[in-house]
This record gives sequence, C-alpha cells and structure tokens, in this order.
Amino acid sequence: MNSFFGKQLPVAVAFFAGVVMIVAFFSADQTVSNFSQGQLVWVTIVGGFSLLLGVASITRVSLSQVRERKKGWQYKVVLLVFLAASSIGAIVEGTERGTVYDWLFQNMNSPMMSTMFSLLAFYIASAAYRAFRARTIEATILLITATIVMLGRVPIGQLIYGQLPEITDWIMNYPNLSVQRGIIIGAALGAASMSLRIILGIERTYLGRS
Amino acid sequence: MLSRLADVLARIDRRVIYLLISISVIIPTLITFPLPVPISPETQALYDRVAAIPDSSTILLTFDYYPSTLAETEPMSVAALRQCWRKDLKIVTLSTVGLGGPSIADRVMSTMADEFGKVYGIDYVNLGYKANYQAVLLGLGMSIRSIYPTDFYGTPLDSLPLMKDLDTYDGFEFIYIISDNGIVDNWVGLVNAQYGAEMGAGVTAVMAPKFYAYVRANQLIGLLGGMKGAAEYEHLVGVEGAATSGMGAQSLVHMTIIGLIVIGNFAYFAGRRKK
Repeated sequence: MNSFFGKQLPVAVAFFAGVVMIVAFFSADQTVSNFSQGQLVWVTIVGGFSLLLGVASITRVSLSQVRERKKGWQYKVVLLVFLAASSIGAIVEGTERGTVYDWLFQNMNSPMMSTMFSLLAFYIASAAYRAFRARTIEATILLITATIVMLGRVPIGQLIYGQLPEITDWIMNYPNLSVQRGIIIGAALGAASMSLRIILGIERTYLGRS
Repeated sequence: MLSRLADVLARIDRRVIYLLISISVIIPTLITFPLPVPISPETQALYDRVAAIPDSSTILLTFDYYPSTLAETEPMSVAALRQCWRKDLKIVTLSTVGLGGPSIADRVMSTMADEFGKVYGIDYVNLGYKANYQAVLLGLGMSIRSIYPTDFYGTPLDSLPLMKDLDTYDGFEFIYIISDNGIVDNWVGLVNAQYGAEMGAGVTAVMAPKFYAYVRANQLIGLLGGMKGAAEYEHLVGVEGAATSGMGAQSLVHMTIIGLIVIGNFAYFAGRRKK
C-alpha cells in the first residue's frame, strides 16, 4: 500500500500530467485544450498549498529552536512574531495599501531586502581586490573584458573614451552572445531530457527518500 | 621602495575597501554632476516599439521583481508607465514573484495613476500573484479568467470594464516584462514561442548578458540592462528619475572597483618579482 501511494501513484500522476501537456501542445482539439487548462489551474492551486506547507514547516522548525534555546533562538522569535503579524494582518484586512501587511512589507521587509542586496557591492569590491588576478592568459582576458564592460556600462566610460559604449555593445553582442546561446541550448536540452525522464518514471528523486 | 609599497597595497584591510565603496556611493548622491547617458540600441528598440503601439491599446506590464532589486527595476517600471500613459495605453499588470511583487505593483501603479489621473478598472488592473509561474504563463494563453478569477483586491474580473473583452494574450498589443530573475526565459519560451506574443524586457544588470540572445533572435524586441538601462529609458521618456541620479554613484563605484583590481594586481606582480 505504501509503495502504491509513495511511488506508483505519484509516477502515474506525473506520467499522465506530462502526456496531457504534450498532447495539448500539438493538438487543436478543444476538449484536450480545456482539460490541460484545468490541469494548469490545479497546478496553481497545489502551488498555493505548497506555500502553506512552507509556512507550517518554518513555524515548526522555529518553534522547536526557540523551545530548545538553540543558538540564535531570539531571531526565531522575531521571525515568528512577524510571520504571525503579517499572516493575521493579511487574512483579516487583506494586502492592499494601508493595511498592516502592506505597512510591514513597505517599511520593514522591503528596506531589509534592499539592504541585504546592497551589501553585495562591498563583498564584490573586496573579492575583486583579493581574487581577480591576471594569473593566466584566460584570467587576463576575463579581467580586461570585465574592466571594459564595467566602464562601458556606466556614463563615465564615455567620458574616458568615447568609443567605450560601442566596444561594450560589441562584446555583449558577439563573444557574450555566442556563449550565452550555447548555455541556453544546453540548458534547454537538459530540461527536455529531465522532463522526459520524469514523465517516463526514470527520474524519481522528486519523490524524496523512500 | 617598490616592494614595500607592494607589501602595503597587498594588505589593505577590508574595512578600508568598505569605506571606499561607501564614500563612492555617498559623495555622488550628495553632489550631483551631469553625466552623458548614451542610448544603447536595445533600449532604443524597446522605446520605439512602445511608441509605435496604437494609442489606447492594452498592454501587459509585469512586476516580476523582489524588493531587493528595487533600485534597478522600479525606475524601469516608472519610466515605462510614463511612456505608456502618455499614449493613454490601458495596462494590465501581474507578478510572478510572491514575496512583494504584487505589493510593489500596487504602490507603483497607484502612485503613477494619481499623477496621470488614471482610474482603476478602466485604465489599469492589477491581477496580483498566483503560485507556479510556469502554469500561470501557459494558462493565461488559454484563459486569463481561469487562472485569475479575481484581481489583486478580490474583485471579479468581469466587473472590471478593462477586462470585459480580454481573456488571452491576443488581447495585449505588447508584453513589457520587468524582472530581476530568470522568469524572462519562461516568458520567451512559453509565451513568445507558443503564443507569438510580442515582448520586451527590463532586467537587472547581472541578468542582462543572457538575454541578448533573445534580442538577436527577435524574441525580445528590446532590452533594458540594469540601472543604466533604466537611466537611458528615463532620458528617452524625458523625465530624469532615480536611475539617472544613481548614475554618478554607479560610475564611481565601478571606477573604485577597477582601481582596487589594478592595485591588487600590482601588489601581486610586485610581490612575485620580489620572491
């Protein structure tokens, strides 16, 4: 029974769902179209519930860390308080402007996320100073290209040398583009083969450990 | 003498580097100085395409970004809205980013609507967020209503005048994606490739190099890359905003980082010669 619900049923659902989407892509039949559309609606509903699962999971883990007074448990208290405040606020009032949820988001979440992202500038500068060395020919080419692009992508680059923006555009449109196309094609082939493996039940890691 | 200098330069404390970066951001923010903003062909193409949309048409404008990248992406949204509402375009917006996307859309759209005197439901609609973006993007191609029965505020779509005759991508003259993540791949792969919807994108500087491939393949009409792209668009729209004023700080930070790379390499090679 466990094997049926843990392995066979999920693999059968994945196979059926995948085949429906493939058939719908090639078919002009309205019934198939409607069926695949219904399936997509279901995917968004399941996605919503998976978010709930995430909230339940983080609450459970954080509560146990607070209970056991693990290192940094105070931060978990802050997390739980704001998780509760934003969740209750959103359920009671909604999420539009002027609500508790919106206030918490605009005045706390948003500035904090921007701050965390801004710290990258400091780490990038420090890392560039310590690690960006012209040790080999490849590293030297990368270093020179990066310097040209960094200058060419800001207005001051044009003041330094008028042709710099054009040189940067050339780098982006030729050497960069050829590499990016290779990566995109490779990733797409990888995604297609992985999808086929999932549909055919060969790839089962998404089921978790048995 | 040279080796002593190299020794000193090889051991710059990271706090000195942090201080240099801080100064590079603060000074240009306090003392603004005019800088040229050359327009890249990708930005010009996006601007020209939006300019060519017939007045009063409907477009889809996305807010696919997190609050962490607001400095780069919000000026793009603001400049795009200015251009669109000067042409009286109707705008439907949505977000594939759950954390913050719809709230950012709500704030930016409301602020700009006040400036242009636009009315919710008639001139613009915010659809909000639904989980599993790939299913959402595919589903919108068949029926917007089945994916979004209501808008961000819980209003049924049928009661919004703008949404009355709109139920697939065919109703949009253009799709304007503003994003800080790989969702552009899905917009291109699922929506442009399968439904033939015409689109352009504004993305963060770190994402931009990847999407040149889509621009050359004409799958994206144009591309805004980072704060510089936003500043270029502001110049084209004719209203200098947050991105243009950030160009000084960005220029100086880039110069500082290049200076640090040069110093680091000088110290490395001088140290090697000494050995």
